[in-house]
Amino acid sequence: MAEEKKKGFFSFLRFGKKKEVDIFQEEQVQSPLRTIISNFLHNRIAMTGLIVFLAIFVFVMIGPHIWILDLGYEDNTQVNVAPGLDMMSYPRALVNEGVQKIAVGNTFSVGLSKEGHVYTWGKTKITEVVDIREIPEEVKKATIIDIAAGQDHVVAVDDKGKVYVWGNTRQGQNKVPSEMMQLENGDRIKQMSAGYQASVAVTEQGKLFVWGNANIFDAKINSAVKEKLIEKAVCTSYAYIVLTKDGQVLYPGFESNAFSNIPESLSSGVVDIAASSQTVAALKADGTVVVWGNSSNGEDLLPDFPSKIINIEGGRLHYSALMENGDVISWGSNKNGQINLPASVNSGEKLVNVFVGNNQNYGITESGKIKTWGHVGYLMGTDNLGRDILTRLVNGGRMTMTVGAVSVAISLVIGVVFGSLAGYFGGKVDMIIMRVSEVVGGLPFLPFAMILSAIVQATMNQTQRIYMIMVVLGVLSWPGLCRLVRAQILAAREEEFVTAAKAMGVEELQIVFKHILPNVLSIIVVNATLDFATCMLTESSLSYLGFGVAPPQPTWGNMLTGANNSVVIQQYWWRWVFPSAIFGLCTICINTIGDGLRDAIDPKSDRQR
Amino acid sequence: MAKYILKRLAYMLVVFTIIAALMFFLYNLIPGDPARAEVEALKSTLKPEQYEQMYQEARARLGLDQPMVVRFFKWYFGIWTGHFGFSNYYKANVIDIVKEPMMNTLFINIFSTFLALGCTIPLGIYCAVHQQSKFDQGVQVGTIVGYSIPGYIIALIFIYIFSVTLRWFPVSGSKAPGSSLTGFPALMERLYYICLPLIVMTFSALGGMTRYVRAAMIDALSMDYIRTARAKGLREKVVIYSHAWRNALLPVITLIIGWFLGIFSGSIIIENTFNLNGMGQLYYKGLTNQDYELVLAMQMFYTAVSLVGALLIDLSYGLVDPRVRVNK
Repeated sequence: MAEEKKKGFFSFLRFGKKKEVDIFQEEQVQSPLRTIISNFLHNRIAMTGLIVFLAIFVFVMIGPHIWILDLGYEDNTQVNVAPGLDMMSYPRALVNEGVQKIAVGNTFSVGLSKEGHVYTWGKTKITEVVDIREIPEEVKKATIIDIAAGQDHVVAVDDKGKVYVWGNTRQGQNKVPSEMMQLENGDRIKQMSAGYQASVAVTEQGKLFVWGNANIFDAKINSAVKEKLIEKAVCTSYAYIVLTKDGQVLYPGFESNAFSNIPESLSSGVVDIAASSQTVAALKADGTVVVWGNSSNGEDLLPDFPSKIINIEGGRLHYSALMENGDVISWGSNKNGQINLPASVNSGEKLVNVFVGNNQNYGITESGKIKTWGHVGYLMGTDNLGRDILTRLVNGGRMTMTVGAVSVAISLVIGVVFGSLAGYFGGKVDMIIMRVSEVVGGLPFLPFAMILSAIVQATMNQTQRIYMIMVVLGVLSWPGLCRLVRAQILAAREEEFVTAAKAMGVEELQIVFKHILPNVLSIIVVNATLDFATCMLTESSLSYLGFGVAPPQPTWGNMLTGANNSVVIQQYWWRWVFPSAIFGLCTICINTIGDGLRDAIDPKSDRQR
Repeated sequence: MAKYILKRLAYMLVVFTIIAALMFFLYNLIPGDPARAEVEALKSTLKPEQYEQMYQEARARLGLDQPMVVRFFKWYFGIWTGHFGFSNYYKANVIDIVKEPMMNTLFINIFSTFLALGCTIPLGIYCAVHQQSKFDQGVQVGTIVGYSIPGYIIALIFIYIFSVTLRWFPVSGSKAPGSSLTGFPALMERLYYICLPLIVMTFSALGGMTRYVRAAMIDALSMDYIRTARAKGLREKVVIYSHAWRNALLPVITLIIGWFLGIFSGSIIIENTFNLNGMGQLYYKGLTNQDYELVLAMQMFYTAVSLVGALLIDLSYGLVDPRVRVNK
């Protein structure tokens, strides 16, 4: 007997068919609750639904602690990035040929081999028509000696001094100054840098050239800089900074901004400069580093350098520096894990060079291997404001489920209390409650919920609004449950155990809630399960229309707002496929669980099997 | 019967009035001053006294200077005499604005209801008769999927398949941009544009309706008189269509009427997703444009429809099944 019991307990794991028992045996062994549970456990579809739902539930409840949501976060450089973790998956051929330089654009990287070949990787498709991967034929044929990558374009120069630009060229990114193409006295381009739709180049003899979209980028050269011989130029997002051959840092533009206010100490003795999007860093001959600009992400919080710095490179919101002992160090923003240096980078071989851009870092070892750290990409892509879909998905899931659960709880409490009272007491109580429930049930649901949330939205803040939506959904969806409970109680009221309880002098409210209600509990549970799915659907519909939970707080519904145009549906499929898929899966699972429960409880449904 | 209907009508009137009052006061909770909004544009061009005078005039014209209760009764009796209000956004009477969208909504919804019924009734009957067969189980799973997924996700998937990939139908809208067709070609164009929303609406209705028909049919089939009919040696066709289906019709009728009621409010999502000029979109735009008189009128219309519908459902019980006495 004990063995049999054990077997029965684990049998659901195999989803096997129920073992045939004759009717007397079954009656004897199983209490009604056990029958329900065992019926449910033997329902394959419902069990699959339960397991999948639990998995999703655990995912969205634990997920937000791993993928922490920053409501204010937006990143216009990471807009509509396709899903994938390949932002730093450099091609092997590049390593085989030896790395000359790696330039990093927004979501892509460009590598130049020692043999003069150009390689691209990462998310190279910038818009529908612009793909960095489409390297022009002439670039493939030429021997390239230097490259630079801007927001959405790449600049390359070959050994004959010819400059190539590809990617987005609509804002004048390819309008290379003619003097630069015809350099005299054997002069040639030594160094290039690219920023937001603009590029700068420096020649060996110290000439400076700048071209591109001057509307956003301060692409001018003032007279003070024109007289000097330039050693190096670096680009921030909207300006550039130069280092002269005599070690002075200058701002070459006309605007006065955070960069033009150069610290006094940098008028001489500077050996290297680097730029992030909002700040500039300068390295002095004695190894000290000075950072200025709008350091809002900790770019100026310099760490202790264990060794002397010999080279600095700037990402978008962080810096990485190479030290004399062959180690690297990173500091600045860590929103995308840019400065998480894996231990393997600083152990083993010495690094001889470091290339940094946007959120990616590449270190080159003595033997020519590439070590990477930083942001590898987005598993589910990003949305139109550059926010990670995965993060929003788990946080939105938690919000959707919370709203669903709380509103079901509210409607459950109201429905059960009113239904029980109406069913048991009948008469006037019944009349009043049923009329009220008819009024509420008579209100057209979606329009009314929209109005209520429109009123609520005008007067409340974000958090209060979310609570109000829960209340609105709960208060509008109880009449169905109320009618159901009432009908059940009407039937149960006539049963003998109620008469017995009455005869024993049990208080009336006690009879309702302690004697009758437990008997109708199973049907309430089934309905609560199905209502949970309905409430989630309603919440998401409201949010989809913009009358539910408002952005930036994500829910599965409002993540789909604005997805109904062909561009998003086709080009940016990840923006709607992932939320739809998980939400659909979730509601399907809940409904199968509800159906399975109903089948398990209803003895009628068993008869046909 | 007549007494019962009268009683119900009187009761409906009371409920309608209560909801009207509720809605009216709710709307007045929304912050905003239409009179101020109307004269605000002139503020910079007028002297303060003139501005104040204009403002007071606007208030008097819009009736805002009266107490709320008076305004409510004015508005409420206006509804009964056909004055549904004036839309601030469209600068026209509500009744004139609503006409065209309402026709569109009715057109698409009646069409999709018939399509859905045409699919679900045979399917539901077949599944009920062949209960627990492979086909039935497959349909069961399919219907759960169908009614679990919200309409707008179905819409997105269908747009992706039929508009973006196959390019059979336009993505949204109700006619080609700049189209000036008339007569028959115009109708054809309209039908072409309405095809995809129609398919989506029908599809999203399939799940729930099929389950409903199937459940009703199973209940009917498990009755004793079916056993009797079979015992008499009647052909299975007669048993199913003449004995079982007629009895399963009762809940199905309820469903159909309930479906018709959902017509007006139910298509908000589909109309917004496909950018169709229907009631749902008008309502949505009214809310986003804060055109509250329009929204209020439409809300009252929705309420009236659902109240009348509830009565119709109850009456239909009696019509379909003489044993049911509604006037109990």
